[in-house]
Amino acid sequence: MHPMIEMTGVSFYYTKEISALKNVDLTINKGEWITILGHNGSGKSTLSKLLVGLLKAKTGTIKVDGITLNEETVQDIRRKIGIVFQNPDNQFVGVTVRDDIAFGLENIQIEREEMLRRIDVFSKKVDMFDFLNKEPSQLSGGQKQRAAIAGILAMETDVIIFDEATAMLDPKGRRKILEYMRELNREGTTIITITHEMKEAVESDRIIVLKNGEILKEGSSQSILKDKETLEKSNLELLLPLEMLYHLESNKIENEKLKQYLWQSSLNA
Amino acid sequence: MAIKFERVSFQYTSMDNKGYLALADINLSINKTGEFITLIGETGSGKSTLAQHMNALLQPTEGRVHIFGITVDDKTKKQRKIKLNPIRKQVGLVFQFPEYQLFEETVEKDIMFGPKNFGVSTEEAAKRAEKMIEVVGLDASYLKRSPFNLSGGEKKRVSIAGILAMEPDILILDEPTSGLDPIGRNALLDVFYNIHTELDKTVIIITHDMNTVYEYAKRVMVMREGVLVYDGDPVALFSKSNIDRWNLDVPDILGLTRDLEAKFDYKFTEPPRSRKALFKALEGMLK
Repeated sequence: MHPMIEMTGVSFYYTKEISALKNVDLTINKGEWITILGHNGSGKSTLSKLLVGLLKAKTGTIKVDGITLNEETVQDIRRKIGIVFQNPDNQFVGVTVRDDIAFGLENIQIEREEMLRRIDVFSKKVDMFDFLNKEPSQLSGGQKQRAAIAGILAMETDVIIFDEATAMLDPKGRRKILEYMRELNREGTTIITITHEMKEAVESDRIIVLKNGEILKEGSSQSILKDKETLEKSNLELLLPLEMLYHLESNKIENEKLKQYLWQSSLNA
Repeated sequence: MAIKFERVSFQYTSMDNKGYLALADINLSINKTGEFITLIGETGSGKSTLAQHMNALLQPTEGRVHIFGITVDDKTKKQRKIKLNPIRKQVGLVFQFPEYQLFEETVEKDIMFGPKNFGVSTEEAAKRAEKMIEVVGLDASYLKRSPFNLSGGEKKRVSIAGILAMEPDILILDEPTSGLDPIGRNALLDVFYNIHTELDKTVIIITHDMNTVYEYAKRVMVMREGVLVYDGDPVALFSKSNIDRWNLDVPDILGLTRDLEAKFDYKFTEPPRSRKALFKALEGMLK
């Protein structure tokens, strides 16, 4: 296994009194799909900003694909990690969708022909090809979010972080983003999903639960999903079928077939 | 009838002078009390535009909106004598991310700002701040704190308290729970439910969350491309054909209820609308 991201003893605080992230050790392997799960204020967005060098760790080291993140390497690292944020309005920088996708590519000095090719390929991939000449004011939130994703995809990074990227979208927009994650991961991209929605964590390989800036627990997605104690401790909600399963158990209602069914259906949530 | 839309259309004009029909021929009525409504629809379907007509922030380009006895149409803006301020006080609108609009030094001052703006005395405004901070589930110790050191959920509550302090009859909230974690979301929805039952106010919530629609609403409106395509019962909304037609998600509770009925021999006489009710119903069948 090739480690893609290695965080060692990483801490961060916005003000000295309250630490946002405490001594985090975390390794993410190439091609993995991991979910960072946590309540509001648990430090999950701080973690993602540290990974792309938008914040600088107070202690500890971060390595991406073997390169230690610092002022000299941050530009190289941004070629390796892309990030999609929650609010589509805060990440649209271009005048048109085409400009927006081109922006990141210009920054890393991609040649014009290659740039045009990528704009073509990735706008089609997220169904935004017909919107290339549109301005942000003519787009819905979901369309803006898809444009932002095309811009990130066009960078062809090894890792993509989705930082609550579906939180402001309607059900259809949400489903689309999940589809992209699935497909990208299948093609070998390392995916980091940051969320507090259990449903978005189900498909990932591994879940890291953050609470008050610390890793409370990590494990396979299947094991964390049913870890009632950890989820309760960290202000998260059990998936409905699992909550029902525990409810039946605590009331000593035995029905193996039903229990099996509830467990299965929680995995298809 | 507190609010009545009569054949309301609204056309935005863009820079290139091309019109864009955001609302098309809307007819609806909303009562002053007793309503708990969710307003849903894809992004860009016209939900927020519709909500902004409910307190005359926008005026129809065709048709009329009657709001607490005042008629608003395309001529309203030109007629200076029609005062829209009373409407803004009676129909409180909380924008998405209201926490960005907090600006005073203390929570108390922030809550008092709205009522004082509408001519309420300082003393009375302070009294209301004290009451409303509790209505939104925070205690009086918050009043002297700076709004900027609060969590996202707390800030949302403070800004909602600020609107409540104006004592509106109807409260409209634009995606109030987006970005909140499940516990924070449920706590805030309970706050709205209490405002509805205990202060006897009509509450209208714009949302993308089908669980909110199913578990809380008494009535649901669905917007699609500027048209009000559904206005009625939340349970009946989630028929299979509507789900496909309007790209809806199936609420968690309804999905599980249906699956249990299809795969096992359970029959729910009344569709459960909360996790608790679902567990209780199932328990009854199994024991």
